[in-house]
Amino acid sequence: MKPIMLHGHERAITQIKYNREGDLLFSASKGNKPNVWYSLNGERLGTFNGHQGAIWCIDVDWMTSKFMSGAGDNSLKLWDCQTGKEIASISTNSSVRTCNFSYSANMAAYCTDKALKHMCEMFIVDTRIVDDSLGSAEPILRIPINGPRVSSLLWGALDETLLTGHENGEIIQWDLKMGKKLNSTKKHTHLINDMQMSGNGSMFITASKDHTAKLFDSDDLQCLKTYKTERPVNSAAISPILEHVVLGGGQDAMDVTTTSARVGKFDSRFFHMVFEEEFGKVKGHFGPINSVAFHPDGKSYSSGGEDGYVRIHSFDQSYFEYAFDY
Amino acid sequence: MPVAEGIKSSWAEEVELEGGTLPPSTEVRENGMKIVTDYKYNSDDKKVKIVRTYKIEKRIVSKTIASRKCWHKFGESQDDKPGPNPATTIVAEDVYMQYITSKEEEKTEDDGLDKLKSMGDKNVVKCRNCQGDHWTSKCPWKDTILAGGKPADDKKGPTVGGGGAGSSGGPSISAPGDGPKTAPSKYIPPSMRDGAPKRSDNPNMPRRDDASAIRISNLSESTTETDLEDLVRSFGPLQKLYLAKDKLTGQCKGFAYIHFKFRTDAAKAIATLNGYGYDHLILIVDWSKPHTTAQ
Repeated sequence: MKPIMLHGHERAITQIKYNREGDLLFSASKGNKPNVWYSLNGERLGTFNGHQGAIWCIDVDWMTSKFMSGAGDNSLKLWDCQTGKEIASISTNSSVRTCNFSYSANMAAYCTDKALKHMCEMFIVDTRIVDDSLGSAEPILRIPINGPRVSSLLWGALDETLLTGHENGEIIQWDLKMGKKLNSTKKHTHLINDMQMSGNGSMFITASKDHTAKLFDSDDLQCLKTYKTERPVNSAAISPILEHVVLGGGQDAMDVTTTSARVGKFDSRFFHMVFEEEFGKVKGHFGPINSVAFHPDGKSYSSGGEDGYVRIHSFDQSYFEYAFDY
Repeated sequence: MPVAEGIKSSWAEEVELEGGTLPPSTEVRENGMKIVTDYKYNSDDKKVKIVRTYKIEKRIVSKTIASRKCWHKFGESQDDKPGPNPATTIVAEDVYMQYITSKEEEKTEDDGLDKLKSMGDKNVVKCRNCQGDHWTSKCPWKDTILAGGKPADDKKGPTVGGGGAGSSGGPSISAPGDGPKTAPSKYIPPSMRDGAPKRSDNPNMPRRDDASAIRISNLSESTTETDLEDLVRSFGPLQKLYLAKDKLTGQCKGFAYIHFKFRTDAAKAIATLNGYGYDHLILIVDWSKPHTTAQ
């Protein structure tokens, strides 16, 4: 396959996301401008200019009309996808680490960092009508998180629950009607870098610093599968069409200069979802991979790395013909 | 790809046009291809022509995707022309998914170092006096009368006898006594030790492929690398060319190795050049022998 390299960021990529149909790919980096690209030919549609700090998280709604980004400049901004104009900005007490639209995009959730005298907090805001007033509007729900901070976030089924992954490896399920913990599990021993839903939302995969990725049932938080590697896993995604998962990770960014690319294991690694066994890998990045995402049609995937590049890979025929030996 | 009308040319292009020396960039569309020709100066102030060829594909997509395709670019891409901007979108080199067929292969490569580390104390460090797991200088029996105070196995017993006083006796005596395999104190280079990574099995090491290499001998002393290249270039693309030269005089030692990209080219070269008269000598050309036989 001939990957398309997207060079829109000068700094490390923090998150990449496809929209629902997969024709657009959004990317965010530690630089202050999120980018949006046509995933088919790698053409850049535009950049969202306005943030002052590193972008930690992005999300796009179901209709691809609104785009949301949370940054280190203590703000969460909402943008119009078509024009790239800022339509709302919510200022926070500390940097915004995770943000997600609910399935219907009627609501959005975001979490702030634990910093100085501010604790980690989770907010739910109404995003049915987005305009300037959103910045001053009261959030629907505000949950202070006592204990380890939230490092990743997902919406549960029917927009009724939230799933949060924490700094200590814990996963908590929240009930939004009551604003209370429903369930929790601690199968990881370190920070959870990323969580991504499967195509139908019945399962989600976590990527953790403890060198593993795990597959959970999104209803009862039962750990179904574990994918083991030798390096911290920064991101994991589930193929929408095949029983495959892809893991991106590698050496910690601070250790990279002391290791060669060969030893650093900066490849995307493909595991069989059921048998938990690695069956393939794709090289290309010069640093650890910070974010991976499958195209919703399952025929291509993208990865964004510490090297500042996003790479779009369209699978060869051999990938679809590959049969796992068992 | 819908083309928006009236796109401003970028600032950089206008400046170049003012100079009046560069032809304007052109865009030709013919049978499903878009060919863009640009002119610019390279770092040596030479005029360069850049031709980019794009394939135009038509895809039938849902209405929402089609409408998004017509959106105007914004932000830093506002002034980009339709189609990918080569400054931000780069087609990377081909990569392939490496399928992992057997777990074993991967393990040996990974664990080479770890294995060596883990066995470090046990096997790599060995006392010459008592065969213990410590350096000779740290041997607890170092100062006792019997240098080989605690012979580990009986075979060694008699040979150690001579080392009366002092630790210097130990190493010199042990060598001649036993066969090379049983003598535990025999030096084994790190590359031959148990835990060392096996070079030849390592799939990730870019090993030169000798399959398409040929050896040319009976070259005259005055042959240079350019002569040689002229001689073999016509057969096909080369990977590497090595001409053995005298260290002092720099003259050719009479033989050379040529690595072709393709084995068929190498075969062609052998067929043609073997017995070929070159510079008053008759060349001898054959496949390069693998390195193992040379050692």
